[in-house]
Amino acid sequence: MKRLTLLTTTLLLLASLGSAQTPPAAAPPATPAAAPPATPAAAPVPITDADLKGIETPKAEKRAAGDPDGSLTGTVSDIAVADPITDKTPKAKGLTVADMANQIGQNKIAINFVWTLVTGFLVMFMQAGFAIVETGLCRAKNANHTMMMNFMVYGVGMLAYWLIGFTIQMGGVGGVGNLGGIPPLSVEYTVKLFDKPFGLFGQNGYFLMHHGTYDVAVMVLFLFQMVFMDTALTIVTGSAAERWKYAAFVVSSFMLGAFIYPIYGNWAWGGGWLANLGTNFSLGKGYCDFAGSGVVHAVGGLSALAAAIIVGPRIGKYTREGKSNAIIGHDIVIVLTGCFILAFGWFGFNPGSTLGASGNGNLRIGSIAVNTMLAGMAGSFGAMLYMWTRYGKPDASMSGNGLLAGLVAITAPSGFVNPPGSVIIGLIAGVLVCVSVEFVDRVLKVDDPVGAISVHGTNGLWGVISVGLFADGKSNYGGSWNGVTGNVTGLFYGDASQLVAQFMGVATLIGFVFTAMFVINLAIDAVVGQRVSAKAELEGLDLPEMGQLGYPEFELKTETAAAR
Amino acid sequence: MAGIGILVTFLGFAIAVMSLGMTSGVNGRMIMVLVGIAVSLFGIMGMIIPAYNKKAIWRK
Repeated sequence: MKRLTLLTTTLLLLASLGSAQTPPAAAPPATPAAAPPATPAAAPVPITDADLKGIETPKAEKRAAGDPDGSLTGTVSDIAVADPITDKTPKAKGLTVADMANQIGQNKIAINFVWTLVTGFLVMFMQAGFAIVETGLCRAKNANHTMMMNFMVYGVGMLAYWLIGFTIQMGGVGGVGNLGGIPPLSVEYTVKLFDKPFGLFGQNGYFLMHHGTYDVAVMVLFLFQMVFMDTALTIVTGSAAERWKYAAFVVSSFMLGAFIYPIYGNWAWGGGWLANLGTNFSLGKGYCDFAGSGVVHAVGGLSALAAAIIVGPRIGKYTREGKSNAIIGHDIVIVLTGCFILAFGWFGFNPGSTLGASGNGNLRIGSIAVNTMLAGMAGSFGAMLYMWTRYGKPDASMSGNGLLAGLVAITAPSGFVNPPGSVIIGLIAGVLVCVSVEFVDRVLKVDDPVGAISVHGTNGLWGVISVGLFADGKSNYGGSWNGVTGNVTGLFYGDASQLVAQFMGVATLIGFVFTAMFVINLAIDAVVGQRVSAKAELEGLDLPEMGQLGYPEFELKTETAAAR
Repeated sequence: MAGIGILVTFLGFAIAVMSLGMTSGVNGRMIMVLVGIAVSLFGIMGMIIPAYNKKAIWRK
């Protein structure tokens, strides 16, 4: 009986905890017409500390014999008691309702910590996927250089983000309920524009020590946000591969990780002005980018475009008449293997962006994971069918890019759309990436060896827009998003203003992020120089830039289309 | 030319932000933001890239 009472109490406490942290929903759910009349719920039974006395714990001798079925492990004896009864303190309170409530609260946060950390680890592993995709799409003579850029972008980006980037991005986020609130990250620099506060950057968190940010929840948030930032940085190494001076890459990556990515990240996720377009200007629920089609991929893709323009095309990529030559990568096997690694990592990227698995509608993680895999599938199909129809063969590298394009596009809407919406978004992304690669290559004449501009830039923007079209208003993360009560709803489900907020994000990405990275890369070009010498480029960058060949025992072809 | 292109690209962003203060209607804001995006794209694709392609390595 006491165990039954304990169970009932636990459930009641959990329910009350959930409702305490969940703002009221905009409208009560509709009752199905055919539903039988509801039976009056039994009145809750109040529980007191006295009810908890005498709960049996596993006997020590029984426990010492082992627990093969797990029934003796994780019982009441594992609940932390504030005032335990011992031989020396026989009159102590022992287990109380307060102890149980604290344990329940900590369990919720512990689940969310573990979820966020493990999904962050998955995202970190995506660096390996990017590294081999890019290296496989480049020529063997540049393998060491391309791998090294992808390897060191992890360290360069992390250093920049730890020193300053995290503060700019999340220093004023104000509260992350799923991770316990994180009150130290609460100072945002704002200006007044149109009589409304415009958050521009955060101010707490330097070195993860400043103003109380030596904090367990801040560490979890830092790790998760850091691996996202590094994903954006590694996109740029693809578009400028095979002719980018290594020193210029280091400086450019540092600047992106320290300033430009965090600024846009603050505006979208850190409590900045884009996130508050809903509260300040009644534009939907503000700019919504669930896992970063805009914040991560479009920022990376547009920075990649800026770098590729300044660095210029590889020797032999275009004829004197401007006709594009295909420069084939050296290993399609590792390209597609890398795509699989990335698709696996994306299960951390999107579902992990709930920052928790318990409370506040976070059980939506199942839907987010399925949306992610469906969009990836549709993207690879879209690209394969496009290439097969247009060129007669199902191109392998473009099928891989189609998979990535679908994943990039679903990143922003993954938390707000339904499975059919995900397939449509992914299918469009798969075709879009092929069309975009052709446009960038043949019309703009910007050389992008791996298709990074199209995969991440074009489809990152498409992902941002698709939220404003396909969000079905069914997701409910605690009853509000970006401080606006209600669920994120796109144009096709009745809210045109959400699409305006999304377009505002697109305008910011193209007009601000691209411009800022272009100016920074111009400055680097003037000081360090962006491009290697023609001699080094023709030799391959492994020896001139890195001092070591990627494949020292292979005989490599040095002839290019131009040399022929 | 590329320098002007940078300014035009940024101008597109400014137009989009200005829509927040110049009109309160969804349609008006939508039009202004789309105009801002178009201006920025013109700055990149119509000015910056052609300027760089004029002195591109493959023309030499």
